[in-house]
Parts: sequence; C-alpha cells; structure tokens
Amino acid sequence: MGTILIVAEIQNDKIRESSYELIAVANGVGGDIKSVVIGSGIGDQASDFASKGGGETYVVDDAALANYTVDAYGLAIRAAIDASGADLVLLSNTPQGWDVAPRLAASLDAGFVSDCFDVQAAGDGFAFKRRMFNGKLDAEISSSGGKVVATVQPGATEAATSGAAGSTSDLAVDLGGTSAKFVEIKQAESTGVDLTKADIIVSGGRGVGDPEKFPEVIQPLADALGGAMGASRPVVDAGWLPHPYQVGSSGQVVTPKLYIACGISGAIQHLVGMKGSNFIVAINKDPDAPIFEVADIGVVADLFDIVPALTDAVKAARGA
Amino acid sequence: MKVMVCLKQVPHQDAKLDIAGDGAWIKEDNIKFEINSYDTYALEEALQIKDGAADTEVVVVSIGPDRVTQALRTALGMGADRAIHVNDADAYASDTLGAAKVIAAIAKEESPDLIFTGLMSEDSNFSALPPMLAELIGVPSATAVLATELSDGAIRVERELEGGAVEVVELPTPAVIAVQTGLNQVRYASLKGIMQAKKKPVDVKSAADLGVGDQVGSGAAKVTLDKIYPPPKSEGAEILEGGTDEVVAGLMGKIKELGLL
Repeated sequence: MGTILIVAEIQNDKIRESSYELIAVANGVGGDIKSVVIGSGIGDQASDFASKGGGETYVVDDAALANYTVDAYGLAIRAAIDASGADLVLLSNTPQGWDVAPRLAASLDAGFVSDCFDVQAAGDGFAFKRRMFNGKLDAEISSSGGKVVATVQPGATEAATSGAAGSTSDLAVDLGGTSAKFVEIKQAESTGVDLTKADIIVSGGRGVGDPEKFPEVIQPLADALGGAMGASRPVVDAGWLPHPYQVGSSGQVVTPKLYIACGISGAIQHLVGMKGSNFIVAINKDPDAPIFEVADIGVVADLFDIVPALTDAVKAARGA
Repeated sequence: MKVMVCLKQVPHQDAKLDIAGDGAWIKEDNIKFEINSYDTYALEEALQIKDGAADTEVVVVSIGPDRVTQALRTALGMGADRAIHVNDADAYASDTLGAAKVIAAIAKEESPDLIFTGLMSEDSNFSALPPMLAELIGVPSATAVLATELSDGAIRVERELEGGAVEVVELPTPAVIAVQTGLNQVRYASLKGIMQAKKKPVDVKSAADLGVGDQVGSGAAKVTLDKIYPPPKSEGAEILEGGTDEVVAGLMGKIKELGLL
C-alpha cells in the first residue's frame, strides 16, 4: 500500500465539500493518507480537515497564497508531494484543480487522469473510471506503478464526516520566481432572469437548431405552464440566448418541481445544473443521449412534433 | 508576433459512436470528424490578434492521422498562416503527457509569443494538455479563459469559476491560454480563404523529427486507456412510447399528477 496525498481546497474561507469527498475516495483506495491545505490564515480549517480523516496534514500558510495562482499553488502542492512521498495525488476537478493538476503531473513526469468518478488500487498501480466523449461513453484507465495525479468529479462520492484523527504540521515553501498575478474575482452580475426561483423550467439545447425557435417553440410552452425558459451552454455560446438563461455548472444551478429538457443531449456540465430537479422530462431524437439517464420520463422524438402539441394541450387544459 | 494554436480533430458532435474491436477506442471509419469546438474558439482568438496587427503569424499545430489534413486546411482557410501536422501513429497513441511532449518540442522550435488551445477535447475530455505543455516549456498558463486583453509583454485573462464568477489573472508572455467556449464568435472560412489555403504550407513531421520519438506511444505512456463502454443504463428514464398524441397525453397526465396544472 502506498501513500495518497489529498490536496484540500479552500473556497470562501472554508474547505470545500469536494475535498472531504476526496477523503472518502482515498479511504476506498486504501493506504497511508496525507493532506495539504494551502492559503493564508487557514490553520483552523487544516485542523478540521486533519481531524476528519485527512491524516498527517501539511499546512502551507502564507500571505502570498491568500488567492489562488497557478504557479504559487503549484509550488506549494509540489512541496507537499515531495514531503509526503505520495504515489497518488488527489485533487477535486474544480476550476483550481483542473488548472494546476496537469502541471503537477508534467513536472513529476507522472501519469494523469482527470474528472474520475471512481478510483481503486489495482496491482502495482491504480484503476480509474471516468466519462469520455461528453458523457456518451465511460472509460477505464489504469496505471501500473509510478506516481499518478488524478482529479475527482465533485459530487461523485459522499463526503467523509469522520475518520482517524490526524495531525497538522507547517510546511515552508519558497514562493520565489512566480509570475502569474492575481488581480480580482468578479462575482456574477445579477440580472432579471432568476431561474432558481422558477417552479417549472422548459430548457432548449443545440437540438432546437435555430435561435428563432426559442421564442416560437420553447418560450410558449414555458409561458403556458407558467414557468421560465432556460438553455444549455451551446445555445448561449452560439449567442442564441444571453448567459442568464444558461443552466449548468457555469450558469445557474436549478431545482424546479418540473424540468423539461428539449433537444439537450446532457453534457455533464448541464446535468450538474439541473439533476436536482424534482421531476425531469427529456425530449430528444437520440435514444443514447445522456440526458435520459437523469430524466424521470423520456420521449425519443423530434421536439418540434412534441413541444407545440404539448403547448396546445396545456393551453386547452387551462381553458386558454 | 507569433501565435501558435493547438487543435485536435475529433468525431463530429452528432456522430454515432461504436466501440472498436479492441474495446479501447471508437470505430473511426465511416464517421465524420471536425475541429474540436473549443479549439475553434482558440483559433478565432489568435486570428483576432492578427486582425489587429497584420504582422502577426498564426501557426496551427495538430497531432493525428491523414484525416487531420482536412482540419488544418480548414484552419488555414479561416486565416492561419501555416500548419504543422504531426502524422505519427505513436504520437497519436500517446497518453496526454506524451502528446504534450510532442507539442512542447514544436513550441521550443517555434518560440511563439502566445499559445492558444481549447480547454478540453470533446473526445477524451481530459483538459490536461494545455497546462502540461506550459509546464514542459516553463511558462505560465490559464484555463477556462472567457476573455483576454493583450498588452506589451503580458496578457490579462478572465478565468471562468463556478456560478458565473470570473477570476482575473495577469500572466507575462509567452503563456499558454486554454479557452472556454463562447469567448468570441468563431468565423467561417470564406471561399477566397479556402482557395488561398491551398497554397499555404503544411509541414508534416514525426515525433522522431522533433527529437521525442522515444517519449511517445503506448510504451512510454504512464496511464493506459483499457476499455470504453456505454454508461450503465440502470436508472434511466421511463420512455413514453407511441405517437405524438399518446406521448402528449402521457406527459399531460404526469404534469397533472405533479399538481402543476
């Protein structure tokens, strides 16, 4: 059994839930678990992490680490990897994790696997499961000895809430020679469209095919149901609808009573934003579309056949 | 200035994916390929620099078999100046770190002022090559970039965080910038551009030509893709069968059951 180093991540002065999930992942792999917590004034957070199964926890506490930059955090994590002698380094697949983890793998000449939903020990190495082809296929990837850096999909595992009590120790890191400069974080501007409060959302995806069809086909069903219209990322990227309509990890995360996905294939980043909905209807021509995996009811058909007919039926039922 | 753009040719978004006989990749014959959508935004970002400063040279780079020529011709048709095609079965069979070493070897020969790539490829979804490349050539990097502002010797970028927030970072150049989709409006290749592209050079190289022949291929890979398969279908949706009327009646019943009508 080897050593696993967990890279915990601070967000808004707290360690992210996904970092506690990494403890559960590491427990599943088995071996000696160590952790590193990086930031400025983060001693209490590190102690909490160590006490919940993080094991021997390195604390890299430096005013220069108050905000994430790829090179300074890279140096801090690299120092912890060297101090721990880790065989497997685990990070969450977050905007920090995916930014820094591949650099660590390259600097170590190590294996790299991203966005895993399952990690196990296997022979002299590790076995990983992850999605590929925008969620259309699953993949099994393995290493056979040698260090591996891996990022884990947030939410794929239940977070650990307790574990063997660990300890913390300060790790001094020379942060000289870094060149990336943090400027600021800009929060999302508030806009008129707040999908998080809608009871019913009718969303359109790339399958809608044409910006004109949103006001003609999608919005009328949303209106008839007294709900709101949403969209998937490709629609917003193409400029068909502005960003406030976007449902997904980089848009709004919604939990309506009813979510109707029209012509949305179901890329992971969209599913993250809507899978907490109470009831999901998916309408898509492709029977293999990943959206059907999270839907309660699916319709394999052309949305232009179903949606206008459904709109008429809703209007008729309402006596409109 | 010189801007390098790394692009990958991937199966068309609507291609029907079948598993190949070895179970570890898809059948590549009889499906359409296209430039990875993330990479089209990377190319557009480079071409916009060229629009503003005519002495900019845009060099597109790709690893892959003969079919990749078409992707590179498209990029040249959109306005790139020349292309480098690493047509080498071992380089194509590498893990991401192996591929990053090939691109790093090109970057060392070309010494670009900036390198643009897409955040991820739509086949492997690894999101790994751009930061690896940056590490290998010793320059800073930024991923999921939604906006760029170039000044003398530096580039200021907005990185996408969660929930619509962005992080503003300034990097000295050269730097590797991995772009998120939607940061610009990607142009189409004009007919004139496509005609001109026929005369633009496409340099074909092997990993050995680049001095990294021993660092590519499945033998040098640190991780192995053993198997791909359709996700398990255990908890899928209840599929409503029948014609439009029947399906609509089923949906109406469910909406009423939910108390939403």
